[in-house]
Amino acid sequence: MKFSFTQDQRLFAEGLRDLLSKQCTPTHVREAWENQAGHLPDLWSRLAEMGVLSMLVPESQGGMGGTLIDAVLLFQELGRAAVPGPVLEHMAVAAPALAHTQWAHALNDGTAIATLWVDANPYVAHAQVANIILTHDSVITDFSIDDVHGIDGGRQLFTVHAQSTTKASSEVFGLPASDVMALASAAYLIGVSEAMIEVAAEYARQREQFGKPIGSFQAVKHLMSDALLKVEFAKAPTYRAAWSASTGSSTVLRDISMAKALASEAAYRASRSTMQVHGGIGYTWEADLQLWMKKSWALMRAYGDATYHRRRVGASVLHG
Amino acid sequence: MDLNETAQESAFRSEARTWLEANVPTSALPSFDTAEGFALHRAWEKKLYDGGWSAVSWPVEYGGRDADYIMWLIFEEEYYRSGAPGRVNQNGIFLLGPTIMEVGTQAQKTKFLPSMASSEIVWAQAWSEPNAGSDMASIRSKATRDGDEWVLNGQKIWASRAVWADWCFGIFRTDPTAERHRGLTFILCPLDLPGITVRPIAQLDGDTGFAEIFFDDVRVPVANTLGEENKGWAVAMATAGFERGVSLRSPARFTEAVKRLIHLWKTYGDPSDTALSDAVTDAWMQAEGYRLHTYQTVTGMLEGRTIGAEASLNKIFWSEMDVRIHEIALQILGPEAERMEGPSQRWVDGFLFSLSGPIYAGTNEIQRNIIADRVLQLPKGI
Repeated sequence: MKFSFTQDQRLFAEGLRDLLSKQCTPTHVREAWENQAGHLPDLWSRLAEMGVLSMLVPESQGGMGGTLIDAVLLFQELGRAAVPGPVLEHMAVAAPALAHTQWAHALNDGTAIATLWVDANPYVAHAQVANIILTHDSVITDFSIDDVHGIDGGRQLFTVHAQSTTKASSEVFGLPASDVMALASAAYLIGVSEAMIEVAAEYARQREQFGKPIGSFQAVKHLMSDALLKVEFAKAPTYRAAWSASTGSSTVLRDISMAKALASEAAYRASRSTMQVHGGIGYTWEADLQLWMKKSWALMRAYGDATYHRRRVGASVLHG
Repeated sequence: MDLNETAQESAFRSEARTWLEANVPTSALPSFDTAEGFALHRAWEKKLYDGGWSAVSWPVEYGGRDADYIMWLIFEEEYYRSGAPGRVNQNGIFLLGPTIMEVGTQAQKTKFLPSMASSEIVWAQAWSEPNAGSDMASIRSKATRDGDEWVLNGQKIWASRAVWADWCFGIFRTDPTAERHRGLTFILCPLDLPGITVRPIAQLDGDTGFAEIFFDDVRVPVANTLGEENKGWAVAMATAGFERGVSLRSPARFTEAVKRLIHLWKTYGDPSDTALSDAVTDAWMQAEGYRLHTYQTVTGMLEGRTIGAEASLNKIFWSEMDVRIHEIALQILGPEAERMEGPSQRWVDGFLFSLSGPIYAGTNEIQRNIIADRVLQLPKGI
């Protein structure tokens, strides 16, 4: 029994954090939100070069040949930076699922951009950025879109009208696309939560009232500690779900659901507490906190919310 | 990352299971906070020791098996699975023992560890004082040097197991000119010395699991000092770190409680009540999450990382989870939950005990302050 990441896995994640700290600052994320581009093209190229986009693609198909254990810390880092655009959908599902198709090369090098349309969701996130939409059993490349105005500027929502479809599988490592996305979103939400807590802790160190930093007040300390507690206890279940998915464990769907339920609730709690710590400024468009808060509110519901996933865990552990 | 057990770990699990199945008493012992129950629990500890299972993570020379932290967790899983008695010498084996191994002299290790592993000596803790609870650094009980002896005076309170235990450990003010956490010394003291009065305190459940200890010119050898003189706070913090960290409440306690909760729900729960089944599922996820988190923590310790203020996260998590598990059980039990005997007894007893969790070993509010200050780096408030 060994519950830790290898040095290589940690170093790769640190490398990604380093890249994102330069090329995906809150200023960059805002740009992608406000110019309606929906993503950051320069960053996208760098993610392709680094091998992030093709992490789960077999080496024989030009990818990095990684497992979901290799990828889970990367999802978390992408969340810390609130990376806009369909990076999770592309990296976790589309690129590996389509690794043996005509689109493989373009997906690996990032010249094609894919998003997902699964779970009978009426809306497709990132459709304005994507030139490939992967559904549960087909690929759509010829389509038109209507903006339905998603809450998260880095994950805009559309209705899609497909002109034609091509049969394709969306499974990754034998798992349905929506489950792989539930796992990727859980890890991404952990990163989002960590970032919100860091931003709020910094604010609480600087902001003074009654002649003292507000972070010295116990009411503020306890809000922050409780937020951190939920995030820290969502991590191990998320990493375990990645292990179960990588090893074909019979409990993989239960484990993914546990991770998504806990990470969704942790992210929501973190969004509420960190906004409260910000006071009035937390309720403004100007505060960077919203870049992560809105990400948490979008992804906590996408690919199954906490109630859906808790009941799937219940079906396994109460009736199993 | 490999979450499968190694062959060695599986063999260890199997050996523990076999021994426990053959040796665990078939009916539950009376509470160890009664005279009869205490004696029976001490006898059980001796049996565990003779089998080599009382302190599996300790070195072989002191009565352990040199089991690493992962194997210790496996042993704990088997221990709780078997329904074996509570550990009456928890204060010694899991709290003081590791501290002696870290800071004790060779003479202290030889003197105290084997008798602790066998529970020939059962230990009580004596941290708190009437005016030093959450604010533990305001300790006033003092130890005054007289030749080769300390002379102890003062009062400790909430000393768990002190009613029937043999020795206690605590911190005493040895430098009256020093303030707060400076000038304190960690001292080990027999409980049968002249000048010691132990006054039992009835707990919420009516048992006398803790006590006040009065020290009136009690003389102990200076050799009973653990760690350096006037550095007792650091020694105590090391002990408290173990306690909050992993050893005080191992995950198996909660994963087994949740198995019983699911059984209770299957027996008495209304399956159409989705709020209830959601709550039971959530209890399962919390216990499982705590188990996973602990395996991750101990892997880190085996790889050389130390457990710091993160220990406070564990303490809040398990203590609140324990309360929640019991609240759900009482909800399922309905009218039976009002009785102190019958099918509800273990759950009602457990509920009362769970309520002490957010208070002892440092209140959860103090833990939240520690997390805020040391993990989140917020400015000091108090």
